[in-house]
Amino acid sequence: MKSRWFWHGVYGFILLALAVSIYAASRTVDYTWRWDRVPDYIVAYEDADLRTTLTGIVEITDGRVQIIGTQDAAAAESFADLDEILVEDGDYVFDGDVIGSRSGWRIGPLAWGLVVTLQLSILALLFSVPIGLLAGLGRVSTNPAARNLAATYVEIIRGTPLLVQIFIFYFFVGTVLSLSRMTAGVAALAVFTGAYIAEIVRAGIESIPKGQMEAARSLGMSYGQAMRHVILPQAMRRTLPPMAGQLINLIKDSSLVSVIAITDLTKAGREVVNSTFSPFEIWFTVAGMYLVLTASLSLVIRRFELRLARADG
Amino acid sequence: MSASVEICNVSKLFGNGVRALDKVSLTVAAGEVVCIVGPSGSGKSTLLRTVNRLETVTDGDVLIDGESIHTASKQLNALRQKAGMVFQQFNLFPHLSVIDNITLAPLKVCAEPVETVRQRAQQLLDRVGLGDRGDSYPAQLSGGQQQRVAIARALAMQPEVMLFDEPTSALDPEMVGGVLDVMKALASDGMTMLVVTHEMGFARAVADRVVFMESGRIEQIAQPEAFFEPANGSRLDTFLGQVLR
Ligand SMILES: Nc1ncnc2c1ncn2[C@@H]1O[C@H](COP(=O)(O)OP(=O)(O)O)[C@@H](O)[C@H]1O
Ligand SMILES: [Mg+2]
Repeated sequence: MKSRWFWHGVYGFILLALAVSIYAASRTVDYTWRWDRVPDYIVAYEDADLRTTLTGIVEITDGRVQIIGTQDAAAAESFADLDEILVEDGDYVFDGDVIGSRSGWRIGPLAWGLVVTLQLSILALLFSVPIGLLAGLGRVSTNPAARNLAATYVEIIRGTPLLVQIFIFYFFVGTVLSLSRMTAGVAALAVFTGAYIAEIVRAGIESIPKGQMEAARSLGMSYGQAMRHVILPQAMRRTLPPMAGQLINLIKDSSLVSVIAITDLTKAGREVVNSTFSPFEIWFTVAGMYLVLTASLSLVIRRFELRLARADG
Repeated sequence: MSASVEICNVSKLFGNGVRALDKVSLTVAAGEVVCIVGPSGSGKSTLLRTVNRLETVTDGDVLIDGESIHTASKQLNALRQKAGMVFQQFNLFPHLSVIDNITLAPLKVCAEPVETVRQRAQQLLDRVGLGDRGDSYPAQLSGGQQQRVAIARALAMQPEVMLFDEPTSALDPEMVGGVLDVMKALASDGMTMLVVTHEMGFARAVADRVVFMESGRIEQIAQPEAFFEPANGSRLDTFLGQVLR
């Protein structure tokens, strides 16, 4: 018991020492830390001006501003819940004039980047699972065409850098099929992840004893029926943990699509750094945001696995 | 209900050069029970597996009820249904309940109505003495119970021949009797049965003929009384001496 607390203390001490040395290192390079700026780039509470799009007369009733168009009689525009009103009843306003302001929470570029990263990852996952399943089935198929095609796909994708694949998808495939950046990015990530999922699926299928397929076939089931009703349901359970790990990899890998100008979390970080000149804080923050995403995901997956394990028992 | 099996000159050469079967011929009449004995590696499993084409043949053919198993390619699944198979390791589907294990193939392969299939499954479970275990999962059953479920599962496809590959070899001794009783009942119902077994008592009591295999060949076929007669110095004698002791 005593020694356990000792080692927890050692752990805490080492972390602290690391933090101190990082701080000390930053002192040597004449850098002013400005953490106070960072939250604004995630969410900010700020005023936003509201402008009219009409030319006309202002009418104010119970804090509600209405603009009655004078050029087009039918046109009218109204603004409610303003925190500050900058016009008066009867004023004549022109298109583009500020009517008032409303304060509220704004989503900053880093939070938008996080949303884009999530969007990329989820879309890529949705496509990569069927691709991986198909290729995984191909890998274990007895048909040489299917087996070799699947093996070639997996070899090519796993043997080349994802960054290069993203460029090929964007500049070649994207141009030929005129895909948008986002589509090209999602496609590259899905095809990349699919190859890894294929290997996970193959390992899962091969982990099921041969007797299962033989029993199913001896009952008159076709290969497809046996796969679908006997092998895959068992294999899928075993592939869930590595599949979840692949999903976490996908989130991290998605940062590479920032090279084709998709404003994901990484690209947003770069843009914010360019405008704030606070690279240290921003990159630590970006890393933290990725960590929050992946850590909460592993937590959810851990829960899910425990439930599955209990259901198995 | 039951069909004949004709194994005609079957040879099997595995990719690694092992000749597991060497021109094996054996005719089993409808309703007949044939037990196959022999040392490990003599090709018993391989022979059984060529009957429902779990294993392809290098040469020769197998006819069930006069229909070729190894030349037909299209209706393979339909032909396979004629031969039910019971494995040494049971091979129940662990993710399905006992009743679902039994109903899966009839539902998916024959597309029979759920009610008919369920009813038949329940009858079969009653018949193997497990009428109240339909909702259990295989892992919750003893080895003997699992093997009886496996027999019920094979019977649910209404086969005309039953193939047993050492059905009691993986069982604790106290479980063997229950499985053999189910097989005996099946035999007296007139099912054609090919049984690879080391249970000489079962072979003596139930078999119409006993086959001795060695090195991929059938060395001897005889009726049980003659089969178990000592014939001095023969390889069968040596083998029987080993298993019976
Ligand atoms: N899939 C296979 N590939 C290669 N050799 C095999 C295979 N299955 C069986 N054999 C070989 O064929 C021979 C007969 O095996 P088997 O039929 O299993 O014998 P038994 O059931 O009588 O013990 C053995 O030598 C075995 O090693
Ligand atoms: Mg064997």
